[in-house]
Amino acid sequence: MPIRFEHVSHTYSAGTPYEYKALKDVNLEIEEGKITAVIGMTGSGKSTLVQHLNALLLPEEGKIEILDRTITAGEKPKNLKSLRGDVGLVFQFPEYQLFEETVIKDVAFGPKNFGVPESEAVERAKKALAMVGLEPDKFERSPLELSGGQKRRVAIAGILAMDPKVLVLDEPTAGLDPLGTVSMMSLFSKLNREMHKTILIVTHDMEQVFKYCDRVVVVENGSIRAHMSVAHFFSDSSFCKEMNILPPSLIRMKDLLREAGFEIDDRIHDIDGLASSVARQVKQHG
Amino acid sequence: MGNITLGRYIPLDSPIHKMDPRAKIMGMLLMLVAIFFPAGWIGYAILFAAAACAIILAKLSPTFIWKAMKPMLYMLVFLLVINTFFLKTGTPLFTIGSFTMYSDAIFQTLYIAVRLLLMVMITTTLTATTKPLDMTLGIEDLLKPFGKIGVPYHEIAMLISIALRFIPDLIDETQRIIKAQESRGVDLKEGKFTERVMAILSLIVPLFVSAFQRAEDLANAMEARGYAPGEERTRYKVLKMEGRDYILLIVCAALLAGMIWLSMRS
Repeated sequence: MPIRFEHVSHTYSAGTPYEYKALKDVNLEIEEGKITAVIGMTGSGKSTLVQHLNALLLPEEGKIEILDRTITAGEKPKNLKSLRGDVGLVFQFPEYQLFEETVIKDVAFGPKNFGVPESEAVERAKKALAMVGLEPDKFERSPLELSGGQKRRVAIAGILAMDPKVLVLDEPTAGLDPLGTVSMMSLFSKLNREMHKTILIVTHDMEQVFKYCDRVVVVENGSIRAHMSVAHFFSDSSFCKEMNILPPSLIRMKDLLREAGFEIDDRIHDIDGLASSVARQVKQHG
Repeated sequence: MGNITLGRYIPLDSPIHKMDPRAKIMGMLLMLVAIFFPAGWIGYAILFAAAACAIILAKLSPTFIWKAMKPMLYMLVFLLVINTFFLKTGTPLFTIGSFTMYSDAIFQTLYIAVRLLLMVMITTTLTATTKPLDMTLGIEDLLKPFGKIGVPYHEIAMLISIALRFIPDLIDETQRIIKAQESRGVDLKEGKFTERVMAILSLIVPLFVSAFQRAEDLANAMEARGYAPGEERTRYKVLKMEGRDYILLIVCAALLAGMIWLSMRS
């Protein structure tokens, strides 16, 4: 069952001079089992949008269908806790949520809140920490002693240990080093492929969208500007230009090669394919 | 949390907003002193009218003041309970079993309630109409005369301005942490005692960590820009008293004098 937004609006600080309409009549259908990128400029409403997925924010108008639940505007949602367990939300810079004495306790905190017995929670925590690639010798350390990148991984493990069906990540790689970014994104990709998790990633990095995501949602001024497959979105740079987005380097390269007279197939989606295509054409024409 | 009104600046365009912060702070102090004179109900009615005028002039809504007053209500209920048990003066109103309710218990509580309401009205008008930065500029200027007797007025003003500056940030931070922990299944409203303790701990620890981190970052940033307390420095914004500021001071002083006169008479 897809995640469905129907005419969803959200206003911050309604009725005060600070009133701000963050979402305006959003209609959106997010497919299950896919990785969906949510992109858009700062302040466009991306974070507001994803916080509706586990009912941290409630719609002011409209309704949201997610898993087997419906959140309707003006109604108090039932089974809030089980929804939060099923939809794991990782905030931007999640390292500030760490508070326990040890890494393992902190990661086990989530599952324990959802009623998982202590011993199983610790098992799950160990598994989640292994998934994010944290060395076992750090499990008993205080999370506050770790480096920024390690803290980030612990925080994400804290959500993974809850074993959510839908994983929502708000800029999970912001501030990580390039290697950390790649391993983080591969992890999400693997979770999607092997465990069939539905994943939503808020990101500014078009390379990530291009490489790891299936679908892309463009949010602009609190509305959905576009929603399509990544392949379609990047098939040429026209969409990107229209939405003021710098396309991934491969797409820019393809554009430049086309301008230079090469014939580049839309379906080429990696650097090796592009290279061999160029090589072939160079050979043909001598 | 998002509805915290006490001490929040509301950007509006009103004559009170445009006044000199020094005049507003002095005016507030005069009014607060006036409240503490036992001037009787007539006095309080006058003060209430004056405060209400200020609120109307500042274009603030009564609901805003009401919201600021709300947290005080618990205190008042608590006070009423204490007073009913310990204040045994005035006329007995009614008796339940061996317990008698006296009129003074109610009057005393009402008296304090009125004073509190007036205080909230006046202080909220000041904070809602004065930008935190202007407020500290005003405080610094008002404290300057005490510099001669060794009061570190600049440091005090800097301290206050930093504290004020961080209040909205810390509120935002708290909300962020609440959301992050709620996403991990923390239930702040319900649960067993031990769960509640854990829930509060899961908020306080990250909040402290980030507050200390911010303090350190700020200290470093200030030092990197060559900040040294006590050095002579010029200001971007120079405060200037105008006609309406003097009028405000005269009105407030007159109110204080009136209250003193009323309380002497009774």
